[in-house]
Amino acid sequence: MSIKSSSISRSLGRVPDRALFALVGLLYLFLYAPIAVLMFFSFNSAKSTEFWGGFSTRWYSALLMDQDILHAFYRSLIVGVVSTIIATAIGTLAALALARYRFRGKSFYDSTIYADTVMPEIVVGISLLAFFVAVHVPLGLTTIIIAHVAFNIPFVTIVVRSRVVGLDRSLEEAAQDLGAGPISTFLRVTLPLIFPAVIAGALLAFTLSFDDFVITFFVAGVGSNTLPLEIYSMVKLGVSPVVNALSTVIIIAVMVVVFVGSRIFMRKERA
Amino acid sequence: MREERTKERPLASPGNERRAVVELAGITKRFGDFTAVEDLNLNIYEGEFFSLLGPSGCGKTTTLRMIAGFEEPTEGTITIAGQTVQGMPPYHRPVNTVFQSYAVFPHLNVFDNVAFGLRRAGVKGEELRRRVTEACDMVQLSGLEKRKPAKLSGGQQQRVALARALVNRPKVLLLDEPLGALDRKLREGMQIELKNLQETVGITFIYVTHDQEEALTMSDRIAVMNEGRVQQVADPATLYELPRSRFVADFIGLMNMLSGTVESVSGRQVTLRAAGGKRVEAIIHEDAGMRPGAEVHVAVRPEKMRFGDEGDNVYAARVRQVIYMGVSTQYMVELEGGEKMMLYQQNASGVAGYRAGDRISVAWDAANSLVLES
Repeated sequence: MSIKSSSISRSLGRVPDRALFALVGLLYLFLYAPIAVLMFFSFNSAKSTEFWGGFSTRWYSALLMDQDILHAFYRSLIVGVVSTIIATAIGTLAALALARYRFRGKSFYDSTIYADTVMPEIVVGISLLAFFVAVHVPLGLTTIIIAHVAFNIPFVTIVVRSRVVGLDRSLEEAAQDLGAGPISTFLRVTLPLIFPAVIAGALLAFTLSFDDFVITFFVAGVGSNTLPLEIYSMVKLGVSPVVNALSTVIIIAVMVVVFVGSRIFMRKERA
Repeated sequence: MREERTKERPLASPGNERRAVVELAGITKRFGDFTAVEDLNLNIYEGEFFSLLGPSGCGKTTTLRMIAGFEEPTEGTITIAGQTVQGMPPYHRPVNTVFQSYAVFPHLNVFDNVAFGLRRAGVKGEELRRRVTEACDMVQLSGLEKRKPAKLSGGQQQRVALARALVNRPKVLLLDEPLGALDRKLREGMQIELKNLQETVGITFIYVTHDQEEALTMSDRIAVMNEGRVQQVADPATLYELPRSRFVADFIGLMNMLSGTVESVSGRQVTLRAAGGKRVEAIIHEDAGMRPGAEVHVAVRPEKMRFGDEGDNVYAARVRQVIYMGVSTQYMVELEGGEKMMLYQQNASGVAGYRAGDRISVAWDAANSLVLES
């Protein structure tokens, strides 16, 4: 055994460091070059994405003036926040129920709740559309939010459930033993302990909601375009540099959120 | 008091001024087809250090959880401090628990852990601070109040769990193998500390353990359980000297067992014929009726046996194995009929040792050989 492992490390040692660095470099290039190109051309004064016409922030000004984009952004934010809150609440409760209790129909519920995560989005989109039409719900922001809640619940459930399963049951028993009723136990012990998973689930839900295109496309009515739909309709008429500027803003916002979030989490874990 | 302890007497007999703080009457607990506890009747008195002792799966933890309110008995009633607690949730019961896993809240520091129960009871401000500080002092956690549990050792977490429960001044403190996860040295220290603590605060402790030494060291009384049933309830000395059944005899300490047939009975004195025709003089429990011809076991503790030929029972034997254990030496000897017996000899000065193969004779007194029914 030891002979084998040492021969592996020796053969690994034979790979030159430079080759490894090159490999990693290529990987990063593959992942980030398109983004870099996009960011680069968002500062291009020319309208083209092929020629560099000098540095300019004109597309950023144009972005701020573009009422359609701003409205779409605003709608995406509303849909994202509202659907995340609802989906996180329901998904967390579902996770607790599935991890903790035995109830009639549990195995059925258990196997069907995740169906949404593997179902092709196009199928989900069409079925939701058919459903809303059948029950005469006018398409608009409400139907988008309902749809997003529906596809986000299983994701939140998966994330939170794994944390609940790993939770020492006796912690909640200890709380009860010390005089905390069920609600107090949940708020003071259970929730704080599963909170990192709840936040992770919420972030995932918001991300999925914010950039969902296919399902939203089917259930959005006239005049309720979210940001992805708006961008798509702009791109149909040729890529406008405003889209580049918008994408750059989103990328930077995401990077800031991820960076700050991971810093906060790391500090909490260390404390 | 002393006499009362050494003698096993009917529980809650008239004239017994000690008040039962926990009464278990006819408790049975079933999980589906499995019966975890069967027809359990126990009275636990105020200020007592009471242990539930038994191998894993004997129902001791289930019993504790029923007192705490985490399980409801299938049959029977539990009374705590004169109040029937049937259907009462754990958060309304006047008991607190120290869990096997400590269950210290990882998101709260030591102070907030200890203050948890008091805050639920509405204790605030200066009184809260004073009582938490007192409890921390009592278990030697002073100065660690601001620490998070992740920064504490196992022993310190154990103390947090203890302080967190005791600070509420419960009628009864329930402890579920609280020392199980500690290493041996720390465990022995904590045993003495726990016992002292219990005497200081005067709260009834109900202590669950599978470690017979631990139970003997700390308890006023012990209930030995096996397969959901109480085998015997007695103080440690009685349990050790006068076990009621083979199970208790085997479970507590080491015991030599010989099987034989009763020849004659005279009061508590019994003469038996063991396998191979040896005569064994022994005693029976005061209240045990025994007839000639009955198949029985005779139990003799290894430390009650000696080398030589002075005693009521003397047999020729051969030393088979010698294990040096520091304070004493453990000998395994084989009697002429082939029965193997253990024998302890103190390594005091002037005591001659033996070696494997030596021909010797072993002896013990009738008073130290107790007859147990098969």
